[in-house]
Amino acid sequence: MVRKSLLSKLIEQRTLVLMSVPLLLWLFVFRYIPVWGWTIAFQHFRPGTKLFDQEWVGFDNFKFLFQDESFYRVMRNTLAMSSINLVLGFITAITLAILLNELRHLYFKRIVQTISYMPHFISWVVASSIIVNALSTESTGIVNLILLKLGIIQEPILWLAEGKYFWGILGTAEVWKNLGWNTIIYLAAITTIDPAQYEAAEIDGASRLQRILYITLPGLKPVIVILLILNLGNILESGFEPQYLLGNGLTADYSDNLDIFVLKYGIAMGNFSFATAAGVFKTVISFILLFSANHIAKRLGQPRLF
Amino acid sequence: MKATKMRFFLLALVIMLALAGCTKGNNEAKDSSSASANSPSASESSGDPSSSASASSEADKTPVTFSYFNAAVAGKDGNTNETVLGKLLEDQTGVNFKMEHLVGDLNTKLGVMIASGDLPDVMVPDSGIDKMLDAKAFIPLNELLDKYGPNIKKLYGPYWEDMKSPDGNIYIIPFAANNGFVPDMYQPGAFYIQRGVLKEFGYPKITTLDEYFDLIKKYKEKHPQINGGDTIGFDVLTDDWRFFTLTNPAPNLAGLPNEGEVFVDMQSHHAAVTGDKDFMKRWIQKLNEANSQGLLDKESLVAKYDQYIAKLSTGRVLGFFDYGWQIIPAQQNLLQAGDDDRRYMGFPLVFDKGTKDQYMDPPKFVANRGIGITSKAQDPARIIQYFDNMVKEENQKLLFWGEKGKTYEVDDKGRFYQTDEQIKQTQNPDFQQSYGFKYYSYYWPMGAGLFSDGNSYFADRQPEVIEKSYSEGDKTLLNAYGLKVFTDVYSPPDERKWYPVWTANKQQGSPEQIFEQKKTDLQRKAFPKLILAAPAKFDALWNDYVADFNKLDVKAYEDWANGVVQDRLNGKKR
Repeated sequence: MVRKSLLSKLIEQRTLVLMSVPLLLWLFVFRYIPVWGWTIAFQHFRPGTKLFDQEWVGFDNFKFLFQDESFYRVMRNTLAMSSINLVLGFITAITLAILLNELRHLYFKRIVQTISYMPHFISWVVASSIIVNALSTESTGIVNLILLKLGIIQEPILWLAEGKYFWGILGTAEVWKNLGWNTIIYLAAITTIDPAQYEAAEIDGASRLQRILYITLPGLKPVIVILLILNLGNILESGFEPQYLLGNGLTADYSDNLDIFVLKYGIAMGNFSFATAAGVFKTVISFILLFSANHIAKRLGQPRLF
Repeated sequence: MKATKMRFFLLALVIMLALAGCTKGNNEAKDSSSASANSPSASESSGDPSSSASASSEADKTPVTFSYFNAAVAGKDGNTNETVLGKLLEDQTGVNFKMEHLVGDLNTKLGVMIASGDLPDVMVPDSGIDKMLDAKAFIPLNELLDKYGPNIKKLYGPYWEDMKSPDGNIYIIPFAANNGFVPDMYQPGAFYIQRGVLKEFGYPKITTLDEYFDLIKKYKEKHPQINGGDTIGFDVLTDDWRFFTLTNPAPNLAGLPNEGEVFVDMQSHHAAVTGDKDFMKRWIQKLNEANSQGLLDKESLVAKYDQYIAKLSTGRVLGFFDYGWQIIPAQQNLLQAGDDDRRYMGFPLVFDKGTKDQYMDPPKFVANRGIGITSKAQDPARIIQYFDNMVKEENQKLLFWGEKGKTYEVDDKGRFYQTDEQIKQTQNPDFQQSYGFKYYSYYWPMGAGLFSDGNSYFADRQPEVIEKSYSEGDKTLLNAYGLKVFTDVYSPPDERKWYPVWTANKQQGSPEQIFEQKKTDLQRKAFPKLILAAPAKFDALWNDYVADFNKLDVKAYEDWANGVVQDRLNGKKR
């Protein structure tokens, strides 16, 4: 069969092409035109000044970014916190989704789901306040209270004053807040698994654990891989609010991430060029990560993004 | 098989779209590019303010609403015409202002505002003035004032030249053109101590930091609990940009005023950084000692501002260092609670007896804080007309005293006074809000000092009112210390022509600006550690800190500060 030309193919599928036009336009207007703003990274940008009156400084802003010693600390924190969130987020969400799926009592399942969703809808400002109170050394600090009563510690611990606890506190807080929300996608994916497989397994005498291991998990694999690829692209986005709200001077060595660094040395100082340079850097790294993850998935014969 | 693949593809598509909608990778770029697109056109249209001015006739009273952003103080957002005073002014001019106040960090908010070009009509940028001027976000007011501002010109006459920028333009109208004595809105910095402590020990005169901590220690031992909670000896405030509250007392304790990050020698006029000096070490070491004695509230080293205010409001905190304007909510809560022993009195402490305290600011017309009209304003002429109308003496009386017979009275000699009830009413925060005193108390073009008839501009500065407004507890304290008003505890400030260095503008991304940020980062990390350390380890840790401190670009900063001092001594504006 002769391959049809692109044009005739387009004409043939004109309804589909027409439908995709608005989305492509949207993508172009909001995702590609703003890339023009990257020029700011190479200027000593002053808002309100015309482009031709701007002072062009080449790679000075990038030099400042890479030469600053705190930049490497900040990168370490960003990567560490992202990885912790990624790993904890995946493991807990998949586990909970499978557990929920195995529940036969519908009402109990729904109650558990609702309760685990709820923290997702609390803003970080409120959530951080709850966390700070729970970790307080005052009478409201439930964590210290329980540990004291159990005799595990002799004196209340000032949790938020110790840098080495910070990643743990943050990881726990993220899990508490987003666990329920993250399970939704896996629960949805589980429903796409053909029930006939379970029935067949049951007839063959597979135990519950075996059914999870040999049917549910392999069924989830494509979703897991896709989400992993997408999340790797976002690994430099370790969040902003929780670190900003829970961090303080004492924990700054562990809590300051790229976003906070940009806020402090870029936006708060009115140094938009520097903030843009950091944004460009982030995009480039994310781009590389996304493509390499996709490439690896392809090589391993796994489902992939594109 | 085909069906599952299709389903899987759809699922992936949904996920992709959902995530694409949520990602924000390009936001900064997007914001700033729109700013570059918007701002030039805005400044073009503002280049000729008279064109829009001529469109509106002199006595235009058609209703109009302008937006007003106040970055200097937190407050309740709303419309001025929802208040009694605002309604009266709207009746006179047809102008209403939609008031918005700063929430969060000033620099961040202004940065975003400028970058996005989303500016209000009128703005009080506080210390962000340099950012606004850099971005050409304020329009020059000279012509407008010539045309529409006769009363403003009269009121600000003595200060007119000071108001001009180096380029000869007036961009902001400063607050409070003084006529007569200098009013201070709030008490300057002070070491506050609970009145109950003073009472317990027979109102001792406290001048040194050691005496202060001794009193707190003795009281805490005697009363381990207050209001059912553990007594807290001393609280510090370290949250975010408010961190200076921890470092500023150090030069104060050495008898120096607060110039920001430097202190200036009175003879040589040489400016040097404070961060690594002995007085800083002495102050932090004292806090370390207080901590080892269990007097310091460890948690306050990691607490946020609202937690700090909440703690002060419980009445369990015996002492702290702070500025009057920063503890208003706590003061009001404690006043409302009604237990005078749990309220505070501030003292200007020093390290050694005999040092003269310099907590009080020298009198100075502050020309780089004020209110400006932005390049986004549609009708600057109407705004200036409104300002001009409000600085008329009869309107100034209205704004600061209210309505005769309602919020104040006049005796047969023409002196203004308030009845006990009126004092109570006008001190009530809810009333201040609904009546409009809150919105008009400051942050507008205004006078200060004395009216032409000799009455005080502000009710709480009128001797007749002051005498009446003191509570029994206030009077006992003032008597015990032989003071007329609480600010009498301060020594008069020495003349410092360059003071204060910290108000000088810094260029964006300049070494001095980066030094300040780095220094704050370093101190925010090091000082709490130093304070919590075992006393034996203090010296070693301090040396580490000084070594880190000297790695910063101290020289560039001192050069900049010395430049400011020299310029100001030579009469140049900085």
